[in-house]
Amino acid sequence: MTSSLDQALIHIVDDDAALRRSLVFLLDSVGWRTQAHASAEEFLAAYQPGVPGCLVLDIRMPGMSGLELQQVLRAQGRTLPIIFITGHGDVALAVQAMKQEACDFLEKPFKDQVLLDAVTQAVRRSARQLAAERRHDQAHALLERLSPREREVALRVAHGLPNKLIARELDISEKTVHVHRQHVMEKTHTGSAAELARLMLRADPADLD
Amino acid sequence: MSTASVRGHPRRALFLAVLAAVLAYFPAAHAAAPVRIGVLAFLGAEVALSTWSPLVAHLEAALPERRFVLVYYDVAGLRQAVQQQALDFVITNGGQYAALESEFGVSRIATLDSPGVPSPSQAIGSAVIARADRRDLNALADLKGKRVAAVGEDAFGGFQVAWREFRRQGVEPENFARLDFVGFPMPRIVTAVARNQADAGIVRACLLEELARDGAIRLADFKVLSPRRVEGFACGLSSGLYPDWPIATLRHTDLRLAKAVATALLSMPASPTGHAWTVPADYRTVHDLFRDLQIGPYAYLRETTLQALARRYWPFLLLFFAALAGWVVHTVRVEQQVHARTAALRDALAQRDAAEAGMRAHQEQFDHLSRLSILGELSGTLAHELNQPLATIANYAQSLVRRLDSGRYTPENLAEASREIAAQAERAGGIVHRIRAFARKRAAVRERRPLADLVREAATLFDGMLPNAPHIGIADRLPPGAQVEADTLQIEQVLLNLLKNAADAMQDLPSDTRVIDVTLEREGRNYQIAVRDHGAGLAPASTQHLFEPFFTTKPDGMGLGLSICKTIVEAHGGRLWAEANAGAPGMTFIFTLPADDLIP
Repeated sequence: MTSSLDQALIHIVDDDAALRRSLVFLLDSVGWRTQAHASAEEFLAAYQPGVPGCLVLDIRMPGMSGLELQQVLRAQGRTLPIIFITGHGDVALAVQAMKQEACDFLEKPFKDQVLLDAVTQAVRRSARQLAAERRHDQAHALLERLSPREREVALRVAHGLPNKLIARELDISEKTVHVHRQHVMEKTHTGSAAELARLMLRADPADLD
Repeated sequence: MSTASVRGHPRRALFLAVLAAVLAYFPAAHAAAPVRIGVLAFLGAEVALSTWSPLVAHLEAALPERRFVLVYYDVAGLRQAVQQQALDFVITNGGQYAALESEFGVSRIATLDSPGVPSPSQAIGSAVIARADRRDLNALADLKGKRVAAVGEDAFGGFQVAWREFRRQGVEPENFARLDFVGFPMPRIVTAVARNQADAGIVRACLLEELARDGAIRLADFKVLSPRRVEGFACGLSSGLYPDWPIATLRHTDLRLAKAVATALLSMPASPTGHAWTVPADYRTVHDLFRDLQIGPYAYLRETTLQALARRYWPFLLLFFAALAGWVVHTVRVEQQVHARTAALRDALAQRDAAEAGMRAHQEQFDHLSRLSILGELSGTLAHELNQPLATIANYAQSLVRRLDSGRYTPENLAEASREIAAQAERAGGIVHRIRAFARKRAAVRERRPLADLVREAATLFDGMLPNAPHIGIADRLPPGAQVEADTLQIEQVLLNLLKNAADAMQDLPSDTRVIDVTLEREGRNYQIAVRDHGAGLAPASTQHLFEPFFTTKPDGMGLGLSICKTIVEAHGGRLWAEANAGAPGMTFIFTLPADDLIP
């Protein structure tokens, strides 16, 4: 367990209280922080995004089912990885869950190691995704500071165009392009055209197409 | 008995006449209600009107303070009017008069005086006519075995008068080959005789002469049988003569009015046809005739001895015995058929009994089969049910090993895990026990159980039967401690069936609307369990057959579930039925179980 995963929080959603407790007990035995919920609704009310972790979710529950919760989270743009556990290995359910990008699908009863491995993997994935999201958000924030004209210049700089060409394309003087370019580098804290290109790629890959 | 039987032309143009004397008898004080005169009008109101309206004119001239109204009736209608005292005066033939006199006490005040008759007391007679070329027919006795036509049984001159003569000559109507009553008008009878449709006909005397005078027939073509000669009577005649039509008062008729009318009539001059009113005739001869014939007021005199009946009614008796014989034959045949069909029915019943016995014998197998099939459908649930405790146990056990290895444990940890493991093992064992008990073939065992527990157990067993099973909401409105004496497993089976049906009915609904409402309440002497779904409901035609074996609306169903449920519920003294939800789609299945406190 790496230190970056220390704050990770494992959510457990199962309507069976005993099983819920046993999962907490199991995950706690290897030091995971856990939060147990008796229903999907309860989980949705309590969930705070932004922390790495994963969701250990019973697929069959009264009220909102596991699959329905998965759909709700996707609709909200949450990337929290989900490990489904089910009492009976229903292939159709598993296929649907995996299509909806479930992280894993475990059939009860399962070996403790299988669950723990799945959780570790899911949390790593979650952490990676969170980091990527964070970088994307930062890049996005930096680029937001540019004026529209600076944005046009930045895009061409990132593509590696010399000032002369940029001036001709935008029908402005080469000197003006030079000023814009300096502002762009200052605002985005980048030192080179390559660095600027990476930043823009993180913010929105489609921009460079 | 008809107007036509009064001798002379039916039109009786009675002259307007002297009034002065009458006025003196009748003071002006009684000018109120019109005087109603009921008239026998066999030939219809129109003919009667032209016949009798001059009489009204005369009476109104004679008694100007009173208005006179003629009301026309047939025989029955006139009798009824007299009975109801709806009339003040009645004008009818001698025959009906005699009858009304006997029955209602009507009293004649004048008799019609017609021309061409010896006296008003000898005015009406019958002629029995035949074709002149019938040499074989001369006397009335010659008509035995012959075809005779007459107007009607209650016609006076047209039948009853002649009947008396036939009887005197030893002939009864039953002796005729045929007696046809052809109704009015009377000349039909003459036509029937002329065309040989009848051998002889009974008409009122003088009809032939009138028709000949009008040129309708030739008198020489006909003859009168058993002809009589009466001094002063100009027509051919086969019978004695009877009094002419009277006018009579009813019992309630005002005496002074009666006197005034009588006086006016007697003072009325003769009409151009020679008709006038005269002092009332003696109607004893009519009574004699009725007494002879035992009809009208004397019908009670009819012989009732067996011999007399036999003599008179032998053709009917013959017919009767023939009918009796036919009936006996028919009865015997029917009896045979009944025997045959009874045997067939008995066979059918025996077959049905055998089938029913077979059904009963198979009932337990069905029962078992159904349980197994539910068990099969429930296997998903059962796997889940079992997996829960097993997974829990595994989690705890594996965690313990892990913690012991890593040293990450406390006594509290260990105790908690061990307790959970024990509890979950027990839970798993309970499930296994329930399944085995449910699937086992067994004799029914009744035990007292709280109904709510029973229902909750079934709901638990059912819960998760399908992936995404509907939510079951239990509304427990039972009095505290409500118990039933029941075979727990059987009742659970019923509940599972109903829950399964409800879930199936809602398959196509989104999950948040798939809810089964189970309501428990007391209903009189019973507890009532209602399982309500929110599905599409069933066609009314389907609901009729719901509880019949092998009826199903499900493509893969056996159609035994509800049939067995009904059997089970009824064996518990309850009832199972289905209702369409009021004001909402879906069905509610309801069954009752007797309340425990009423079970001895």
